Amino acid sequence: MNKKVFTRRARQVCQLLFLALFLFLFRQTDYTGQDTIPYAVNIFFRWDPLVAATVTLATRTLIFLLLPAFFVVGLTVLFGRVFCGWICPLGTLLDGAGHVIKPVRHPVRPKRYLKYIVLTIVLVSAGFGMQLAGWVDPFAILVRGMVIAVDPLVNALVTSGFDAIYFHGPDWMTAVSEPVYDVFKDVVLPYKQSYFLWPVISFAILAGVFALEILGRRFWCRNVCPLGAMLALISRFSFFRRKPLMACKGCGDCREKCRMQAFDDRHRMMAEECSLCLDCLEFCPKKITTFKFSMPVNKAPMDVPRRHLLGAGLTGLFLPVLVKLDAKAGNPSNRILRPPGALKETDFLKTCVRCGECMKVCIQNALQPVFFEQGLDGIFTPRLVPRLGYCEFNCTLCGQVCPTGALEQLPLAEKHAFVIGRAVFDKNRCLPYAAATPCIVCEEHCPTSEKAIQFEQVRATGPDGRTVMLKRPFVVIDRCIGCGICEKVCPVPGPAAVRVYPADVEQSASLLSGYGY
Amino acid sequence: MDRRTFLKQVALWYAGVVTTVPVFRLVSGAMAETTVKPEIMVAKGDDYAGITAAVVEKMGGISRFVKTGARVVVKPNIGWDRRPEQAADTHPLVVRALVEMALDAGAASVQVFDRTCNEERRCYQNSGIKPELEKIKDKRVKCEFIDDRKFVPVKIEHGRALREWSFYKDALEADCYINVPIAKHHGLSGLTLGLKNVMGVIGGRRGKIHHDMAQNLADLNTVIRPTLTVVDATRMLLRSGPQGGSLDDVSVRNTVLASTDPVATDAYATTLFDVKPDMLPSTVAAYKMGLGEMDLGKCRVTEL
Repeated sequence: MNKKVFTRRARQVCQLLFLALFLFLFRQTDYTGQDTIPYAVNIFFRWDPLVAATVTLATRTLIFLLLPAFFVVGLTVLFGRVFCGWICPLGTLLDGAGHVIKPVRHPVRPKRYLKYIVLTIVLVSAGFGMQLAGWVDPFAILVRGMVIAVDPLVNALVTSGFDAIYFHGPDWMTAVSEPVYDVFKDVVLPYKQSYFLWPVISFAILAGVFALEILGRRFWCRNVCPLGAMLALISRFSFFRRKPLMACKGCGDCREKCRMQAFDDRHRMMAEECSLCLDCLEFCPKKITTFKFSMPVNKAPMDVPRRHLLGAGLTGLFLPVLVKLDAKAGNPSNRILRPPGALKETDFLKTCVRCGECMKVCIQNALQPVFFEQGLDGIFTPRLVPRLGYCEFNCTLCGQVCPTGALEQLPLAEKHAFVIGRAVFDKNRCLPYAAATPCIVCEEHCPTSEKAIQFEQVRATGPDGRTVMLKRPFVVIDRCIGCGICEKVCPVPGPAAVRVYPADVEQSASLLSGYGY
Repeated sequence: MDRRTFLKQVALWYAGVVTTVPVFRLVSGAMAETTVKPEIMVAKGDDYAGITAAVVEKMGGISRFVKTGARVVVKPNIGWDRRPEQAADTHPLVVRALVEMALDAGAASVQVFDRTCNEERRCYQNSGIKPELEKIKDKRVKCEFIDDRKFVPVKIEHGRALREWSFYKDALEADCYINVPIAKHHGLSGLTLGLKNVMGVIGGRRGKIHHDMAQNLADLNTVIRPTLTVVDATRMLLRSGPQGGSLDDVSVRNTVLASTDPVATDAYATTLFDVKPDMLPSTVAAYKMGLGEMDLGKCRVTEL
């Protein structure tokens, strides 16, 4: 292997290692027999400078959890956008997809400025208190898509195959398939099948990023990714660069073949576009290409029309106000249940980067993505949907994996006391009230001690006219933390006869301050 | 064996079991006198493994129940994500003692499982049962989570309230089924003991069982007939059952009792709470179905 091929192989191995790390941490984002997750499973968000910048701007506080972002910034100052070329798991997957999805013959002209527009809107909006990173951050798109759509899809496909053999296959076949299935369950598959709201939407967004490969290699990274834009800005001052700074007249191979299209129309190299993939070392026919440390000199200007930037800035300014003017966000009827440890609603919306880690880790599949329930600002934030899954009393995982502290990491005792909401009985549906039928499954499951659901013994007339002794449940409101296990296990068909509603704590999501008196 | 044959066999086997029941009930009092009184063995002490072994030994030893090569199921209560001292789940040392005895008797496999109420991984872990069984380091021990594919519908031929329900295949197929409930308080039924522990091997929406709990439990217990019932009363949850949480509600009794009669064990365990056996509706319903004896005067109670 000559030296040039070696550099390419080294890059590919590095990419695959980080992809493996990413997938490993994804799989570890689960309960593994310990109350504390032993790995920093959220590290890809915590070292993401875009996440750090938007959260810091929106909340105007420096968040300790996000300090690893300085590592990526430092790396970029030294080596340029090496993160995009060597580390980013989405970039790696796009490189892989490039082997399957062939770009159109005449790749569309680069729209490099787009990513700066996206970045500007996201940063300015953050400055005005609106968190948009989750819409466009590469990890948010990737993780959310995997959590909500890809992982459940893969699991459903694989298990249905093994189930078909289990139920319909002959014994000898099951004897082979079941041990294989066990290995799959241990290594590849999630612990159990999960179900999320609207997996199609999250899948479509992720698939859209991959579909952009049709327009050209790494189209997303070059033209849309705001994290790429941010690292590009820093790369204007980076030290490790390709030499020469011009594509040679005559040959121009490097310009033609560059996956990042890092040369402008006048063959000048744009260091901020280069992802340090080092492919040009290999294909340069004259073998004059080198990469070395030098003082940052930029021959080509950045591809950012000022008028576009101005427009983006204004958009970033008006958008947050417009969104917060949505009466939907201020309507108390639209209040939703947040996971335990959630900050006050206004702060939560600024801090949450919609990454989906909490939904992934929730062992009861209770956390679901919000869509239009709360207006535009709430989209992809987590909500507890107790009828689908309840909050496990002794579990504190969502607070542990939240990369930004939108969900605080609560010690168990505080988690036990954290009020997610309060349960309310619907006596028109509840069996001991409405049908004189014994039940109180809710009381049995209520985890607080003393139980928040108590019952009174009453004499009532049954449907057949006979007197029956009944236990009728009621909620002791101050003890209820809104975990929702009562709503989950209620045997009444359809909506439960006991439901959790938001508690009366200060939560104002809009400029409309409060409601009622 | 395909599912059809399996179901047929279950139905036949089961029909054989239940058809004997009314015959037994028709036997006159004089005849019943001559039948052997149900034996209840009670042991006390703070060596939980020791007292568990002692009651089984006194019953005639584990080999009376577990034959060489038998598929054994030990069914504890692992329903809740609680620690052993919180007294919501069967004590791990009691479970381990039974598993080890079954292994010593030459069991081909010893399965330990429960369909939990809280998240199963947390329950298996924090109840201490899974970690304790892992210490045995014997491949015949299988402490696995419930596999939903293994629930099979069973016709409850002699059920008075339930006609059909799904049961866990491994529980139905076991050569020896050792029921190991914990004795504790329960809001609806009063107490939860051995008969109620069957809830952990049934599928479906279990909430419905609550609508006529006593008769439903008796019906379910016509299908699952434990070879041996060992009640863990080492710690008893007196209030806020069945999951408790506060140590103030726990009373340490250091007691284990065993019998082959599932109704008699429940009847005796009820008295530990200072309650008369006929105050627990499920015991009465099971007695009326002929599943066992609830009159402790007609049982031979041996306190070790």
